[in-house]
Amino acid sequence: MKKLLALCMLVLLTVALAGCGGQKKAAYPADGDITVIIPKAPGGGTDTSARGLIQFLQKELPGSKFVPVNKPDGGGITGMVDLAKAKPDGHTLGMVTVELAMFPHQGKATVTNKDYIAICAPIAAPAALIVPKDAPYNTLDEFVKYAKANPGKIQMGNSGTGAIWHIAALNFEKEFGVQFKHVPYPKGSADIAAALAGKHIEATLADPSVFKSQVDAGKLKILAVMADTRSELYPNVPTFKELGHPLTIRAWAALVAPKGTPKDKVDVLRNAAEKVCNSKEFKDYFKKQGIDPTAIIGDAADKMLADDDAMYAKFLKK
Amino acid sequence: MSDIISAFGMVAEPFSLGCLVFGVWIGILFGAMPGLSVNMGLALLLPLAFAFKGISGILMLLGIYCGAIYGGSISAILLKTPGTPASVATTLDGYPMATKLHQPGRALGISTMASTFGGIFSTACLIIMAPLLAKVALQFSKPEYFALAVFGLSIITSVSSGNVIKGVMGGLAGLFLATIGIDAMSGAIRFTFGTNYLMGGVSFIPILIGVFALAQVLQSIEDHWNEVRQTTRLAIDRTLPRLADMKRVFVTLIRSSAIGTFIGCIPGTGGDIASFVAYDQAKRWSSHSEDFGTGVPEGVAAPEAGNNAVSGGAFIPVLTLGIPGDGATAIMMGALMVQGIQPGPMLFVDKAPYVYAIFLGLFFANIVMCLMGYSLIRLFAKVTQVPHVVLLPLILVMTFVGTYSYNNSLNDVCVMVVSGMIGYFLNKLEFSMSSLIIGIILGAMAEQNFVGSLIMSDGSLNIFVTRPLCLFFLIAAVIMLITPLINFGKKKKKAL
Repeated sequence: MKKLLALCMLVLLTVALAGCGGQKKAAYPADGDITVIIPKAPGGGTDTSARGLIQFLQKELPGSKFVPVNKPDGGGITGMVDLAKAKPDGHTLGMVTVELAMFPHQGKATVTNKDYIAICAPIAAPAALIVPKDAPYNTLDEFVKYAKANPGKIQMGNSGTGAIWHIAALNFEKEFGVQFKHVPYPKGSADIAAALAGKHIEATLADPSVFKSQVDAGKLKILAVMADTRSELYPNVPTFKELGHPLTIRAWAALVAPKGTPKDKVDVLRNAAEKVCNSKEFKDYFKKQGIDPTAIIGDAADKMLADDDAMYAKFLKK
Repeated sequence: MSDIISAFGMVAEPFSLGCLVFGVWIGILFGAMPGLSVNMGLALLLPLAFAFKGISGILMLLGIYCGAIYGGSISAILLKTPGTPASVATTLDGYPMATKLHQPGRALGISTMASTFGGIFSTACLIIMAPLLAKVALQFSKPEYFALAVFGLSIITSVSSGNVIKGVMGGLAGLFLATIGIDAMSGAIRFTFGTNYLMGGVSFIPILIGVFALAQVLQSIEDHWNEVRQTTRLAIDRTLPRLADMKRVFVTLIRSSAIGTFIGCIPGTGGDIASFVAYDQAKRWSSHSEDFGTGVPEGVAAPEAGNNAVSGGAFIPVLTLGIPGDGATAIMMGALMVQGIQPGPMLFVDKAPYVYAIFLGLFFANIVMCLMGYSLIRLFAKVTQVPHVVLLPLILVMTFVGTYSYNNSLNDVCVMVVSGMIGYFLNKLEFSMSSLIIGIILGAMAEQNFVGSLIMSDGSLNIFVTRPLCLFFLIAAVIMLITPLINFGKKKKKAL
C-alpha cells in the first residue's frame, strides 16, 4: 500500500514538473497554449477535421501548442457562445459550423458570424443528390421530371427537421417546383446511408463523404452537387450551377477567433492556414477520409460565413 | 488461404501486438472510469494511429474498443459505478455478488469470462455470417427501430424486481427527460427554459454518474457512518471461474452473445441496449428468476457477454456496407480510410488480407483482454478492502472529475449533483434507477422512429402491423409486459 502511494506521488510530481518547464517568453503563437474549442463530440466529422487541421498548424508554427477541447453541450451552441465570450488574445480559438448561419434565424442561438473573425474553412461539404443505382433516373433533369410526375411521393432523407440537409431539400423544392416527403434521420448521415442502402427511402441531399463506399461499390449514384465547383473526389458529377440552377448549400466548419483578436495575431494564423490548406499532405489526409478538402482562407472565409448567414436569413424568414 | 497467412503476418508482429496490448490497456482504463468514454479514448489516440504505418494503428484502436466495453464492468461490479452505459445492467447482480456475498474475485472472474466469450463469439459470427446479418440489418427501417425500442422498454418490468409500478414510473421519468431539447423531427424547442445548455438535451452521462456513483457514495456514507474499521482481511476467493459456475452460465453466455451480436449489427444500437436485453432474457429463461438481483452468476454473465458481443456485430455494417453504426465505429472507419482501406462492399474483393487482419485483431484483442483481466483481478478486487474513509472521498472526487471531463461543462456537474441527490432518495423509496436509464436511452429512439414511421406512411398506423419484423418485436414486447403480471397474479393466489 505504501509503495503504491509513493508511486502515485512520483507520478503526480513528474506531471507537475513537466507542467512547469518550458514557459519562456516567446513571440505569438509560441508564448503559451492555444485552446481550440470544438463544439462537437469527439469522433465526429467536425472533430476529426479540426484535430487534423490543428496538427498541421502546429507543424507549420514552430513552438506553438494547440489544445483541442470538446464542448458539445447544447448541440454545439454553448461551445460557440463560450468562444464568442473568450478573451480575444489569440489563445482561444474554436471551430464554428454551418449551424452558426442557421440557428440565429431559427431562434435557437444569439451568436452570429459577426462575433468571430475567420481564419480558415478546411471543409465545405456540398449537398449531393444521391439515389440508388437502379433508380429510374440518371440525371438531375430526369429526377426532377420524375418528382413532378409523383408529387409528394419521393421519400427524401435528411438529418433532422430544420437541419442543413432538410433546408437543402426545401431549397430544391422551391427551385424546381416539386414536392418531397421529408424523412428525418436525426442521428445523421450514416443513418441516411443505411436507409438508402436498405431502400427505405428513394433519395437524399447530403454530404457525400459518408456515402463514398456505397458509391464506389456502385450501389448508389450521385446525380449532382450543390457547389460552385466540381468535387475533387467526384470530378464526373456535375454541379447544380452548371446545370443552370445556382444552388449552393454547403456544410462548412471554420476555425475562427473571437472578435477583437489583434490583427497581427490573426494574420499569423491565416498565413499558416493558407500554407497548410494548400499543401498536398493536408489534402491527402482529408481525401483519404472521403472529405473534399477546401482552402477558403481569411477574408474569403469571412465572406462565406456572411453570405450563408444572409442566405439563411432570407430563406428561413418566411 | 494465402490471404489469411499474410494477414497473420501483419498481426503477429511484435510491434503490432504491442500496439494491440497497449490499446486494450488504455481501453480498460477508459472504460473503468465513468465519464471517460470509448469515443474519447479513440479520438485521443487517433493521431497516434495515423502515425503508425499499416495495420498496427488499427489494432490499437480495436484494442481500445474491446477493452473499454470490458473495463466498464470492473467499476460497475466493485463500486456500483458503471464506467460506461453498457455496464449499467452489470451492477444489478455484480455489485451484490462483490459486496453482499463478499465474492469480488468470483464476480470479476465471471464477467471477464463472459466478456471474452461474447467478444470471440461475435467475431466468429462476423467472420461466418457477416453478409447474411448485414442483410437483416438493412431490413431495419423506422418502424422496426420503433418496435425494437418498445421491446427494450418492456424490459423495465423485469429489471425493477421490487415494485413494477415504481419501475414504470422511473421509466416514464426517463422518457420525459429524453424529450428535452431541440426535437429533430419537428425542429421544435422543448423544455429548455430559454437556456442554451438544454438545447441539445440533458446530457445522459452526468445523470448516469449521479444516480449510480454519487447516490451510492451518499448511501455508503450513511451505512458506514461511525463504523469501527474491521481488521479482518478478506481472502480473495479464486479468480478463475469454478467449473460449476461455468456449467451454470453456459447457456446464458450463448444466448446473450447471440443477442449482443444481433443488436450490434443494427446501425444505431449498441452495448447499452444489448446488455439490458441480455440480462432480461437471462432472467426470463431462468428457473430461479426470483434470485436475480441478489448476486447470481447468470446476472453477471448475461450483460457482460451481451455488451462485448456488440463489438463483433458492430463491425458487420462497417465492413460489409461501409456504414458506421455509432461514433466509435465511425472513428475506426476513418482510421481505416486514412490507411487506404475503404470499408464497404468492395473491401472483401480488393483488400482481403486487411479484412482477415481485422478479424484476427478482434480475436487477439479479446484474448489479450482476457489475459489482462485475469492477471489483474486480484489487484482490482482489493478495492473492496480499501477502508471506506479512504475509498468514498476518492469516488466522490472521481464523480466530479469524470463528469466535468466528459463535456468540459460545469452545467453537467450540476446535473450530476442534482441527479445524485434525487437518486439517493429514490433509491430509499425503492425506485429502480435502471428503469430510469432505460427510459432515457430508448426515449428518443422510440419517439423519433414513431414519428418517422408515420411520416413514411402518411399518418397510417398500419405500417406497424404490415411489416413482419416490426410486428414480431411488438408482439414480443407485449408478451414481455404481460408475463410478470400473470406470474404476480399466480403468486398472489398461492399466498391466499
